[in-house]
Amino acid sequence: MGNPLLTFWHDAFGREDDERRARRVALRAAAASAAQASETVFLVMRRMRAPLIVLIGIFAVSVLGLTLIPGEDPEGRPWQMGFFDAFYVMSYTATTIGFGEIPYPFTYNQRMWVTISIYLTVIGWAYAIGSLLALLQDRAFRSALALQHFTRKVARLREPFVLVAGYGRAGELLGAGLDALGRRFVVLDLDDERIDALEVGSFHADVPGLAADARDPGHLAVAGLNHPCCEAVVALAADEEANLAVVMAAGLLRPDLPVIARATSRGMVERMRAFGSPSVVDPFDRFGDHLRLALRAPASYQLLTWLESGPGADLPSRATPPRDGRWVVCGYGRLGRELTADLGAEGIPVTIVEPSGDAGVQPVDGAVAGAPAEVGAEDAVGFVAGTDNDTTNLSLVAAARRANPSLFVAARQNRPENAPLFAAMEVDALLVPTEVIAHEVYAQLSTPLLWRFLRELPGRGDAWAAALVDRLTGLCGRQLQALWKVRLTAVEAPALTGWLASGAARLGDLLRNPEDRAEPLHAVVLVVLRGDEALLAPDDDLVLRPGDELLLAGWSAARRALDTTLVVDAVREYVVTGRRVPSSWIWRRLSRPAAAPEETVPTAPTPSRR
Amino acid sequence: MNLEKVVFGFFVLLAATLNFGFFIGDIDDPAHHNRYELFAAVVVNLIATVLKFGDRTQIGAVHLSTSLVADLQLIGAALMYGYAEYVSTVGMTPGWTASIVSLSGGALLANIVSVVLLVIETVSFHRG
Repeated sequence: MGNPLLTFWHDAFGREDDERRARRVALRAAAASAAQASETVFLVMRRMRAPLIVLIGIFAVSVLGLTLIPGEDPEGRPWQMGFFDAFYVMSYTATTIGFGEIPYPFTYNQRMWVTISIYLTVIGWAYAIGSLLALLQDRAFRSALALQHFTRKVARLREPFVLVAGYGRAGELLGAGLDALGRRFVVLDLDDERIDALEVGSFHADVPGLAADARDPGHLAVAGLNHPCCEAVVALAADEEANLAVVMAAGLLRPDLPVIARATSRGMVERMRAFGSPSVVDPFDRFGDHLRLALRAPASYQLLTWLESGPGADLPSRATPPRDGRWVVCGYGRLGRELTADLGAEGIPVTIVEPSGDAGVQPVDGAVAGAPAEVGAEDAVGFVAGTDNDTTNLSLVAAARRANPSLFVAARQNRPENAPLFAAMEVDALLVPTEVIAHEVYAQLSTPLLWRFLRELPGRGDAWAAALVDRLTGLCGRQLQALWKVRLTAVEAPALTGWLASGAARLGDLLRNPEDRAEPLHAVVLVVLRGDEALLAPDDDLVLRPGDELLLAGWSAARRALDTTLVVDAVREYVVTGRRVPSSWIWRRLSRPAAAPEETVPTAPTPSRR
Repeated sequence: MNLEKVVFGFFVLLAATLNFGFFIGDIDDPAHHNRYELFAAVVVNLIATVLKFGDRTQIGAVHLSTSLVADLQLIGAALMYGYAEYVSTVGMTPGWTASIVSLSGGALLANIVSVVLLVIETVSFHRG
């Protein structure tokens, strides 16, 4: 930025001193974008030169003419207009306001000159205003303005935010999930329309968005890559090269940030892993894993998908894919390969069908080309329609169902518009790659506890998961209202300090309704994190210790109730022991002598009365 | 020969010479200072300012700022002239004249800096 005038402008209005210092230390990439923006402003100034000079020239000539042409005052004496009068007359005439002939009625000489000036000045104004409006409509100018606006918004963020590069369907789902959790995020996408959709979207917080190429590190920097509040980078673009570029930029410029990227090919995953340790989400790989989990432990799979779907999700039905029998996989693309490998690992025989019928694309031995009816769907137990074309998938499902109505059918849905069609088909398992990605990224970003829980869940067995699902539905219903974290520290749970230190703090005593302690709180503890040890779905007899971290799922009302219990001493006393104690200081003082002898009798907390 | 450079040099120089023409003479004698010359100086200075818009170089930025200074002072002088002629009851006194001319003298200094910059730019262009 070599222009001292602009430097002055920034110093006076930008308050960017510390920000600039941070920029200098971290990287200079953002400067490229900022320079691009100021270049456009210079271009605008340059283009306004001609209209402004024309306007000044016309004004000067008209005013000069008025002062030179002789007029006369009401008494008929010769009089010459001064510069001020002339400028005043020309100003209101040129702007078509027209106050009339001031200070004295004009002579014919003057009127002739004013007539000429009127036409000249109107042309001058029209030219200047027209050029200005044309510039405001100019695409380059508008995008420069948008860039500046976006830069300012991101620089002003003072709370942690996630940088989302690529705001497709997956980004949209992830954004809605993050917004429901009260987290901030910033969006970069190549497509103007996606960014416009962001503006009309109903988010709780303002979401800064910029239509720009995320492959440009300058744009990433402007979107807050080097912002101290940036907590994670998510690359969800459909273009894998772009995702690689984002992973690369984040890995080189901010090695401390966690990066989550979408990739669907092995080679791309390898290339991404070369830069730091990004967490790569491959929707087909995940679906394969999910299918294996569903084959082995249907209840675990049900719990996993429920918790991954985010707040407000309904309990998904428990699918039971058949294990004993042959599966038919249609479409040997990336998904087909993954599924074949996963099913093969489970010891299930697989027939691969390439529905295009093109003999050239038969990559494995045993792949058969043709319609499902011809490849023995009659005696198969499972069927996967996994091509990248929704129409083909739907017709495959219909054909397979006709051949064998008892088939377990899984289908892949590529476009969100086709969701009603797949819903009408009532397929047993539906793969929506974008949703798989969004859920996976959501689980990783929402809280580390949930991610930990989900990773340890498959190892716990099906019966355990089924029991937990029953507990959750029994207490909280079939809808996941809220998922939140509580830390039992002196700061976050001041009322619990003494009780926790007593060593007899049963979890079951804490989770009771502050209104009526006979009633349990409508919430289930999913994980207790104690140091490095994670206790999954502990029962009521678990003894809590200071510093424990709890992940709870349940009603929003339960969350509020628990918050009260953690903070207010009197409520905690009632919830834990059943005694009503006065909450104000004076009443506590007054009632202490009476309560003192009673307090010596029970040392341990009384067991709950039911 | 670059026509843009010719126009640019012409206006910068004309702004300075008109300014000088108004400035020269007894500082408190209205007869020595023509109001049309002040008007022309204001107009030409404004045009010179607009011509300097949008130059991204360091020297261009200083050019623009000197022009803005000259504009400020000349418009100040013109306003004082208007006040003395139309509002003040005593009209154009030697005191008013002296104030107006000294303001235009300040503008003249800025215009001279502008001309010096122009010369420097020209010389360095030929060497570079």
